[in-house]
Amino acid sequence: MQKVLPSLLMATISLSLTGCLQSEQQDKKVVINKNPYPSTYQVLPNKMTIIRNATVLTGTGERLDNADVLMKNGKIEKIGKDLSLENANVVDGSGKWVTPGVIDVHSHLGVYPSPSAESHSDGNEMTQPNTSEVWSEHSVWPQDPGFQRARAGGITTLQILPGSANLFGGRGVTLRNVPSHTMQGMKFPQAPYGLKMACGENPKRVYGQRKVSPSTRMGNMAGYRMAWSEATEYKRAWEKYEADYAAGKNPEAPTRDIELDTLKGVLDGEILVHNHCYKAEEMAMMIDLGKEFGYHSGTFHHAIEAYKVADILAENGNCAAMWPDWWGFKLEAYDMIQENVAIVDAVKNSCAVVHSDSDTTIQRLNQEAGKVMYRANENGFDIKPKDAITWITLNSAKSLGIADKTGSLEAGKNADVVLWNANPFSVYAQAEQVFLDGAKVYDRFDEKYQAKSDFLLGQK
Amino acid sequence: MKLLKISVIALALASATSAYATSIAITNATVHTVTEQGTLTNATVVIDNGLITAINPEQLTADQTIDAMGKILTPGLIGSMNQLGLVEVSAVSRTRDGSEKKADITFDASAAFNPQSSAIAYSRKGGITTNVVTPRGGDSMFKGQAFVADLSGDLDSIVENQTAVIVDLGSKSKGSRAFELQKLRHKFADAQKVLDKAKAKVEEKSDETKATDKKDKPAKELKRDEKVINALLAGEKPLVAYADRSTDLLALLALKKEFGLDLVIAGAGDGIRVAKQLAESNTPVIIGAINNLPTFDALHQSLDSAAALIDAGVNVVFSVSGDMHNLYQLRFDAGIAVANGVTKEHALAAITANVADAFNINAGRIAVGKKADLVLWSADPFELSTKVEKMWIDGVQHKTTSRHDALRDRYTTKSAMPRAYTK
Repeated sequence: MQKVLPSLLMATISLSLTGCLQSEQQDKKVVINKNPYPSTYQVLPNKMTIIRNATVLTGTGERLDNADVLMKNGKIEKIGKDLSLENANVVDGSGKWVTPGVIDVHSHLGVYPSPSAESHSDGNEMTQPNTSEVWSEHSVWPQDPGFQRARAGGITTLQILPGSANLFGGRGVTLRNVPSHTMQGMKFPQAPYGLKMACGENPKRVYGQRKVSPSTRMGNMAGYRMAWSEATEYKRAWEKYEADYAAGKNPEAPTRDIELDTLKGVLDGEILVHNHCYKAEEMAMMIDLGKEFGYHSGTFHHAIEAYKVADILAENGNCAAMWPDWWGFKLEAYDMIQENVAIVDAVKNSCAVVHSDSDTTIQRLNQEAGKVMYRANENGFDIKPKDAITWITLNSAKSLGIADKTGSLEAGKNADVVLWNANPFSVYAQAEQVFLDGAKVYDRFDEKYQAKSDFLLGQK
Repeated sequence: MKLLKISVIALALASATSAYATSIAITNATVHTVTEQGTLTNATVVIDNGLITAINPEQLTADQTIDAMGKILTPGLIGSMNQLGLVEVSAVSRTRDGSEKKADITFDASAAFNPQSSAIAYSRKGGITTNVVTPRGGDSMFKGQAFVADLSGDLDSIVENQTAVIVDLGSKSKGSRAFELQKLRHKFADAQKVLDKAKAKVEEKSDETKATDKKDKPAKELKRDEKVINALLAGEKPLVAYADRSTDLLALLALKKEFGLDLVIAGAGDGIRVAKQLAESNTPVIIGAINNLPTFDALHQSLDSAAALIDAGVNVVFSVSGDMHNLYQLRFDAGIAVANGVTKEHALAAITANVADAFNINAGRIAVGKKADLVLWSADPFELSTKVEKMWIDGVQHKTTSRHDALRDRYTTKSAMPRAYTK
């Protein structure tokens, strides 16, 4: 030990000497912690489990009949026929269906929880049109009973977004749908953050009523452009700081701006855009806006008119997250068609996603996808369950930037698995067992695996 | 001009009569009658002049025969507790006629009903043939009066107006629920007192032999709202009360008993606690079959609630919660209820016969004399994969297409020209 110390000292001295030789004395480098509220998620206790003889929809566009799914150490170990049992916990899947865990890219659980109350209304920081500085994770109430309801519907992963009142609503967070008494305990490890943006009626209505900008759609666009322009300067300032520091200079770090940190994260490609945007012409402009400032325009949420620009979306690598049938509540939701998702999906390189934005339909995202499949097939499409399942699994994972970890049943991926009592696209379908990283987190027939929120515990 | 007018009317009459003049026999159907007859296989239903005139007649005489090829025929579904035809786009104020700040118990929104609303054609996709349109009212706890409309989209769609009085009770964002309950009770008690007094006077008069009593003042003309309250006291129209918490439900049942009201409860999120009382008092209950998230007034509502209420003998009606644009989902809600323990027969009744009974509509069952509102389904009416094959409203066949289909066709048809030329 004594021998080591002097050599370490020597190294430090020589380093600082060489530094001095090249330039001035450097202050400690300012580094921004990009993960100040890190995930503490722990996989629940689990055993090696095999589901036998089920109809398996892999999420990659394949269907396997009478197949086995083996989960080991939290991962999908193998899918195939007559897999060896070893010491696995065996679940009989005869007559049942298996899919990847369902992913909802658009939820407000925890930030607009049940029971609905002013004290719980934490999803929309409606105080200025750009609130990129707020993070939805700071509003999440992990005791929202809606999380349990969603789990009973097969939801294993969900993105919690801020609301759509603002041009920039703030950061969204991706959660594992596992019971926890802290937000960090649910946080999806290594999932990128999302940035919620909003087009159209909402921002211009909210701020127009207050006689501040934006009050028009052109005001919306101006608001985005001014913000991205500022973020570009901010990014440049930091890059200059980093470059100068690396060159041995002792530059002064730019003043930190929490709002611009988020926008810079998008420009750096680390934060994914999730854009509430209904209309065709607006989506087309938001894609160009991304090109103007050098970021990817990401996923369009609620994309009611995505079918009008399906080709543009695919060309530019944009996902569209859609409802099967919500419409008419606003003028920008007037041109809904029930085949929207199918038309978007039909284009090569597309990314069609079915989302909920609802504490009710999140419980049956499988049926939401089913509605699209059947209506489209009545009108010239030929969509099979193996295809439709991708809208609520693998495509959703792509939209959230977690497709390398979850969203399909492939060896090595997280063992997020749902066992359904029937074809999941039936109105009578129910999730019987739900596995998250190979651990059973829900069982319809075993109360031991039915979590209950603190809020409901002991209520008469 | 005059001539022209007459000929137009004549034409209109001719087309109307021709629609009714054709009698139709639907043969080889699996008929879910929603009556004691249950389900009839390989059955024939004859409709004529807007009504069901025969089921499995010994001799078949009809202008037109439609072979159902064994498919399921049900009564047309009946929606309720929504603003269909009163709202085109919820956030466009000029297309909204269901709310009015000053609305009171007399508010009859039927004059604003728009049969051309795109939401009506869209709702037909869900097999809905009739709807109980329910205004939202304004500041008063009385939200106005519901009316019944069919979904033909025709200018004469309104079946009945001033059908039921809507009152909103339960939790309040300002003030106490007790005050509104008290106010409601006082309204009935005061009106009942006046009626009792008048009755006593009449009896007194007939007891005495004095035929001419000059002291008698002429009876005071009742105000419009008083007439409505009296109609409720006479049980002439239902009082539909929104309430969830069990205490509110019991308070309403007490009012029903005391004043002989024709009570219908809407919401009833906490109804499972008082299911027995709801059943014993024979009170229809309108619920959202898929409502399963807690509120402080309904902590324990779940997907099992519908089955629990029905098993206890409650007359349950399903209505689609939230925005009326998706009224078409009513049959899916019924399917979800079936997945959670309700029998298919009860689920179908909850969207047909039970709604008709609650609002005294001559539809909702396949029986002779009932309105010929019928739907022929491609398969199980509750399944997502099923669609409406044919539907009749008032005996007239209607399409299920809407502008949504036109938009789809425009954007799935190839053309070298801009889409706007594809019509």
